[in-house]
Amino acid sequence: MTEAHDAGSTPSLRIIGQALPRFDVAEKVAGSTLYAADWQLPGMLAGRILRSIYASARIRRLDVSRARGLPGVSAVLTARDIPCNAIRVDPTGLGGTPFETPILAAERVRYQGEPIALVAAESDPQARAALEAIEVDYEPVPAVLDAETALREDAPRVHEGHDNLLVHWKLRHGRVEEAFRTADVIVERTYRTQWADHAYLEPEAGVAWTDAHGVVNIRSATQVLEHFREVAEVLGLPQNRVRIIAPFLGGGFGGKEDMTVEPHVALLAWKTGRPVRMLWSRYESLLARPKRHPFTMRYKTGAARDGRLVAQEITLLADAGPYPLLSPRVVFAALVVGAGPYRVPNVKVDAKAVFTNNVPTSAMRGFGAMQVTFAYESQMELLAERLGVPPLELRARNFLRKGDRLPTGEEIGTAVALPTVSQRAISALGARTAPSSRSARVGQGFACNIQPYGRTVWFRDRASAWIGFEADGSLVVRTGVPDLGGGQAASLAQIAAEILGVGLDRVAVHFGDSALTPPAGGTFATRQLYMSGNAVWKAATELRALMAPVAASVLEAAAADVQFADDHVSVVGTPDRRIPLARVVAECGRRDVPTALLSAFRGEEAAPVDLETGQGRTFPDYTFGCHAAEVEVDTETGVTKLLKHAACHDVGRAINPQSVEGQIQGGAVMGIGQALMEEIVVEGGNNLTTLFASYLIPTALDVPDIRPIVVESGEGKGPFKARGIGEPPTGPPPAAIAAAIFDAVGVRLQELPMTPERVFKAMEALRRGAAGDT
Amino acid sequence: MVIERRPLRFSLNGRPVDALAAPHETLLATLRDSLGATEVKYGCGEGVCGTCTVLLDGAPVNACLILGLQAQGRAVTTVKGLSGEAGPHPLQRAFVAREAAQCGFCTPGMLLVAYAFLREHPNPTREEIRAALAGNLCRCTGYTRIVDAVEACAAGGGDPPV
Amino acid sequence: MYLPPFSYVVPQSLDEAITLLQDHLPEGKVLAGGQSLIPLMGLGLARPTALIDLNGVRDLAGVSEVNGSLDIGALTRHRALETSPLVRARCPLLAEAASLIGNIRVRHRGTIGGSLAHADPAAELPMVAAALDAVIEIRGPNGAREVPAERFFLGLLLTDLAPGEIVTSVKVPVLKPSSGYGLAELVRRAGDFAIVSACAVIERNPAGECARASLVLGGVGPHPRRIRPAEALLEGRPLTEDTLRRAADAVPSEVTPESDIHASADYRRAMSRVMAQRALAAAAARADHPGGGGFHGN
Repeated sequence: MTEAHDAGSTPSLRIIGQALPRFDVAEKVAGSTLYAADWQLPGMLAGRILRSIYASARIRRLDVSRARGLPGVSAVLTARDIPCNAIRVDPTGLGGTPFETPILAAERVRYQGEPIALVAAESDPQARAALEAIEVDYEPVPAVLDAETALREDAPRVHEGHDNLLVHWKLRHGRVEEAFRTADVIVERTYRTQWADHAYLEPEAGVAWTDAHGVVNIRSATQVLEHFREVAEVLGLPQNRVRIIAPFLGGGFGGKEDMTVEPHVALLAWKTGRPVRMLWSRYESLLARPKRHPFTMRYKTGAARDGRLVAQEITLLADAGPYPLLSPRVVFAALVVGAGPYRVPNVKVDAKAVFTNNVPTSAMRGFGAMQVTFAYESQMELLAERLGVPPLELRARNFLRKGDRLPTGEEIGTAVALPTVSQRAISALGARTAPSSRSARVGQGFACNIQPYGRTVWFRDRASAWIGFEADGSLVVRTGVPDLGGGQAASLAQIAAEILGVGLDRVAVHFGDSALTPPAGGTFATRQLYMSGNAVWKAATELRALMAPVAASVLEAAAADVQFADDHVSVVGTPDRRIPLARVVAECGRRDVPTALLSAFRGEEAAPVDLETGQGRTFPDYTFGCHAAEVEVDTETGVTKLLKHAACHDVGRAINPQSVEGQIQGGAVMGIGQALMEEIVVEGGNNLTTLFASYLIPTALDVPDIRPIVVESGEGKGPFKARGIGEPPTGPPPAAIAAAIFDAVGVRLQELPMTPERVFKAMEALRRGAAGDT
Repeated sequence: MVIERRPLRFSLNGRPVDALAAPHETLLATLRDSLGATEVKYGCGEGVCGTCTVLLDGAPVNACLILGLQAQGRAVTTVKGLSGEAGPHPLQRAFVAREAAQCGFCTPGMLLVAYAFLREHPNPTREEIRAALAGNLCRCTGYTRIVDAVEACAAGGGDPPV
Repeated sequence: MYLPPFSYVVPQSLDEAITLLQDHLPEGKVLAGGQSLIPLMGLGLARPTALIDLNGVRDLAGVSEVNGSLDIGALTRHRALETSPLVRARCPLLAEAASLIGNIRVRHRGTIGGSLAHADPAAELPMVAAALDAVIEIRGPNGAREVPAERFFLGLLLTDLAPGEIVTSVKVPVLKPSSGYGLAELVRRAGDFAIVSACAVIERNPAGECARASLVLGGVGPHPRRIRPAEALLEGRPLTEDTLRRAADAVPSEVTPESDIHASADYRRAMSRVMAQRALAAAAARADHPGGGGFHGN
């Protein structure tokens, strides 16, 4: 097992920890970045998908003959035209029954918007005309419309021959029943979170073409290059005949982690022999792209009079839509951190994902750990009230510490800076703002969270990177990391530049090409800094170790006495004894010492958890944070305005502080959106929020300045002791805002989003209750 | 159906361009597919997200909600029209200096709206900047840095103080 | 990015536009700002066989003051209304209402004629037109006619326009010096369609009482709803908090809101009172301070 190493033995860092401009921002600002839909090839066709209008139906008849005959139409494909129309997955990753997810529905559709046929035509209007000419006779079939009824014995089956229960994770630690008997206070509540959409500004898109070598190339907005293997299986091709290129993405957030257009454009390109481009409309994206799981969370929390938690009993129910996708893993993450960042000696969690005919659900930034934050922090607030203990004090009495064990039994091996992050976030709020009108009330609140980073340790995660010098001493990094916009590629450049002493502007990063860049695994699970960052760190360190003795001999010094900095190698303490990197490269060439190498980083590995108790190693590490919010509630309408928001996380070490702060700000606003306004509404299997006019994400007027506060404990499992920061900031906002609303108007909301109407109704109920009405 | 295309001439970033456009092509389609101006993006097709923003005779509009043929004889500016011989516009430099772009997809539209706004309001407050940008969605930055960059530019510095 | 195909004509005069529209009935439509029509076409929900583009027609845009009214051409953009010194001074309610529509890009193209003809029940301009007793001028194959705003909006997205007719201008009485206006919207986010909105105009008499009032609610029925019972409770009475409150209290029983994904009917009904209250309070305050009620937006 490789551990990340500190740069402690080197003198102060020159590039790590600097807020240096990212190389990709200048070209984005110039408008010259070519995203997936911006790629044009001669003879390119327009691809479109025919999607099911029903949530649950049999396809009795599918007739594409008229569509095939329309002018400009090159191909119309149905399930029977696909060599292998199913992706077989092991949903839990633990060797369970494999599950088949079709590329195109054959006899059965299971969600509204499920793809049934593909069209490629000379122009987009012709492709749309072809879609309209496809004749489909549906026979609606009883649907499963919510997660609770899905579990009933008499519920229709989403998949014939399969139970609607996709997975049931269990965690058993200690003895909760006995513990509750000793508890002085018990609070029991049910919380609900909603379906949410990633709402990246760039809709799903990609172009596929077959090149002169017969390789199917796909250039698409994807977070995972490794999907080339699944596409190869679909096409019935060897894996080395499919290539996926990921350009800069216009946002991913987990929504481009499962395959999007890849199998579709590949099939159309492969069948027509021509390049095919597909760009989903926003309507399609909102309708059918897998969403964040809505969770129903039942929490029973027991504490002693002094505030120490004694037990948590939790049931989590997630609507997994009709196909597994990443649901089991999302729910597993929720299981592991469901009790919150607290010492709880007795924990029982049952976390279930169930099939329904609702919109599919899969990965979204926060990945299960986000939803439970709302529940466990709301419980803490309630407990604090019941015990008469100040909320921060209650947290402080229970915060996890380094060396403690999580409810999974595993020891936390890195710093847990919760006291610091909570104190910093809360004090950043400052004095309460005066209300702006007679009917307004202002409140403040905070929430802490724990978010895993890195994939579960039984996945044997790997990432590789290639680093090499050019003859002139400039550096090339090649890595399969897709860059979603979070500065993934830029931070790798910083790491390489730091270790090998190359000026940041003399480092080129080539990323995201499965044919040309070494595999790094996808950009998700907040894993890239931990995995690829460490891979680059490792490659750079190994290369430095090979080249240092050569440089040292030229400088007539010991290898341990040379340093790489400012495009030179010099002797420590005597800066004028130095040679340019180009000279070192040349000398290495003469002596047959490599100036380039490929290295792989292996993530922590362990056996899978016990399936009955959830005990064992799970994630490599966690990021801890706290957000504090101030809101103003209009007591006549329930409209809640966010006045202040501070977001503090311990990131171990900030590779690029500016990028880290940007991630914190953006993640916080995503969480704020879910707290107050975002909701995919699905009724009777029909998705009613298929436009940006109805799926509301925050605008510049809906959020104040987000104050990011970066704490660096100096401990983490990433390069230079960094910790992942992509996902953690999405978790705390809903609970922090809920606490602030309670502080303002005395109501506790248990359902997201906390719309004006919900706040209003809660206040009305409180008024009626206070007035003695039943 | 017969796709009838008509001659279209307008000024794009200060230079005359010619295209053949069918009536049912939006200006967004004409710009991206006929003229290679892929810096103008498709984000929603409803006029809500702002990624398709262009300036039409100096006014920010949704290219997805205008017909290509409606640009006949007009002046269209995309983000590429903001930089000139002197290099990037101060707004663009401010965005880079403050990392006001992450994925960058909203950035071209955001810059154009900010540019048009600052032309009419050279000394805005942060609240006024937020109100001006409220029609352009961003999912990555949380907006604070974008407001910082516009404010800095208005204060006369595209670059951060040395 | 591509719409369903249609025949496209660009008339240079109003007469030509009317003739062309007549030729392309029943499925032909006029194109003004396009900010409502083109999204519908993009989704395939509207499929006009022809678009008659009014943007080239001379003299359809512009604002002038004629005989105590603002004469506003149908193709006048929302942005022009929002920023026009004439509108801000003589009818600031209209300028403020225009400033609340959508976002700046929509406002640079959307037109008052288009907004009134589209008649979205949550839109600002139809509500304000009704509150101001605006008169809508129409031309068609049978000549010109005019319709008071309150009789123009008939139902959900339904107006008095007959096939072949075009809104050509709107006459909006200028706000009297003794009048004040109020506009209150309950929106999820700035620029969104309102969940509930209210528009009030109160004219004060020299004794400080309400001489005339108009109160219109939006978003609580298929078209803007004038609340005459509330107006009756104000007229002839002193403009006290009490009077205003009683007038607002009369609103909920007069409205017929529906539930949708944004809000329930109950909530809309409750909020109709609150928005009415706020609009009335603002109108009364402005009526008390003649000349201080101009609109100074962005």
